[in-house]
Amino acid sequence: MSKPVLIVGGGPAGLSAAHAVASSGHSAVIVDKADRLGGAPILSGYAKLVPSHEWASDAIGGMVSRVDRNKLVDVHLNTTVASFSGEPGNFTAMLKDGGRIEAGAAILTTGFTHFDSVNKPEWGFGTYPDVVTTVQVEQMLSSGAGVKCPSDGRAPDRVAILLCVGSRDRQIGREWCSKICCTVSANIAMEIRESLPNSNVYIYYMDIRTFGLLEGPYYWESQETHKVKYIKARIAEVTSDGKRLLVKGEDTLVKRPISIPFDMVVHAIGMDPNVDNMTISAVFDVKLNKYGFVEKPSAYLHMGETSRPGVFVAGAATGPETIDDSIAQAQAAAMAALNMLRASVMEAAE
Amino acid sequence: MPIHEKSLIRPENLVEHENLVIDGVDVSGHWSTFIESRALSDYNENMQDEIEALAGGEHISRCWQCGSCTNACTVNAINPDFNPRFWIYLIRLGMEEELVRDKDIIWQCVSCNKCTYACPRDVNPEGVMKATAHWLELKGHTKKKPSMVFDEAFSQQVFDTGKIEDGLVLRQFMKRTGQPLTQPWLVALVMGLVRRFPVFYLMRLGLATVFRPRTKGWIKARAAIHEYVEEVETANRKALGLDAKGAE
Repeated sequence: MSKPVLIVGGGPAGLSAAHAVASSGHSAVIVDKADRLGGAPILSGYAKLVPSHEWASDAIGGMVSRVDRNKLVDVHLNTTVASFSGEPGNFTAMLKDGGRIEAGAAILTTGFTHFDSVNKPEWGFGTYPDVVTTVQVEQMLSSGAGVKCPSDGRAPDRVAILLCVGSRDRQIGREWCSKICCTVSANIAMEIRESLPNSNVYIYYMDIRTFGLLEGPYYWESQETHKVKYIKARIAEVTSDGKRLLVKGEDTLVKRPISIPFDMVVHAIGMDPNVDNMTISAVFDVKLNKYGFVEKPSAYLHMGETSRPGVFVAGAATGPETIDDSIAQAQAAAMAALNMLRASVMEAAE
Repeated sequence: MPIHEKSLIRPENLVEHENLVIDGVDVSGHWSTFIESRALSDYNENMQDEIEALAGGEHISRCWQCGSCTNACTVNAINPDFNPRFWIYLIRLGMEEELVRDKDIIWQCVSCNKCTYACPRDVNPEGVMKATAHWLELKGHTKKKPSMVFDEAFSQQVFDTGKIEDGLVLRQFMKRTGQPLTQPWLVALVMGLVRRFPVFYLMRLGLATVFRPRTKGWIKARAAIHEYVEEVETANRKALGLDAKGAE
């Protein structure tokens, strides 16, 4: 029997990889730095997921309990991998808490880090309490507290959602599209309109990228049924007149400067490379791409490979990714890892 | 195809002080010229709902501003200021003042429906143009168009009698629009008719003028139509926040 597959990170991708490995009768070990499994959807308290509309606690919670019940999956929480050595089929991982794991292969499902809006000070986050992020709104919805202005707890009458906060911006070295924020914002906008029917929700966009089948149920649905208004403008600054927030920019479709009062401004924050990616890159000896995500070789001939043989990668560790695709990629990476282990066992037998 | 361009500086936004001294420096006349803020802060957020409530405007919230309607537009090809895409945008955002500025061209839509077939989101821009013209009229921004006066005279007769008497429609239209009946084209038409001397036709015409024939058993239909028209008109006025019956 070959050694287990080490899975680093217990978010949707890690949980999916562990389940896939265990389903084929092989053992897996999950290492996660947090105190529980589930990754961003659970730790950041997401509300209803795209595109299923299932609560994150149910959908991802289901993946967690499925792995928890599985005897072939061993879980190490509150720790990280400090060193990783050996060769494909025979790796040794030393954990920060002193643990030692013998593994045949490793799958990095280390995910991403939410962009910190403080890095775009002109948009008011950190200065005005009523400027919040999509993650905060998700938490307002998932906790059942409802959407309220943090400053005084009033229900907002006018809400602005600013897209591409921490994405598509050379000024802050983030040239990628975070891929999911348009759809998430449309989803949040609809939820706000549903819970506060008298509210007015505006989305400030440069492009709307509710790709594929998400176009209808998110972009179109939010406009047609929920009367969310889309304005093509990149906001210049968010200030305050002392009572309400003041959003300034140019409405590019009418070539006119705009200065509009809002009760709440929501930053649709993007996906950064995991803040620990430099460490992960050094520990596992895998290359990062120029954006700081884990590099993948050619998309056509390889399944979830990294620059180091025997170490695989899946999900948002490789770039902004949806939950669904992270899960699918993790299954592919699990298959690649198992294939490699089987090949090395056969080689040893000959 | 020209994209609609608004001059950003309107004459009324240019301000000049005839006599102005700042810190002892005389800046009277053109030395003190400045442009008032172009930033908008006044929005009518009910505007989209109002247009949506009028016939034709139902799907305005679908618009994503691609400009297919303006590109397809017959009138835009002649007058670049005629821009359905732009007006839909103003309505959706509630920029009422801006829309009313174009009140004298919005009604020029010729209803060719090229936009209707071009629109990828099935907004029905032609319907929106109709609803907008109707909105401007109900709100008192524009007078009734001659074609509206004609339609009213025409449909009023149909509602009342179930029939059309062309002579009466014509007389009413000319009267209501303050035009003399002796239009050269009408005189020519009548003269041409009389010259051929169709006795039977002229007799019928004369009888119809005097006796105003009705469709048999029209009373019930008339009541139903009047009820329906009143219902729609009341609903329209209510949606626009107007009194039950406005000035005709």
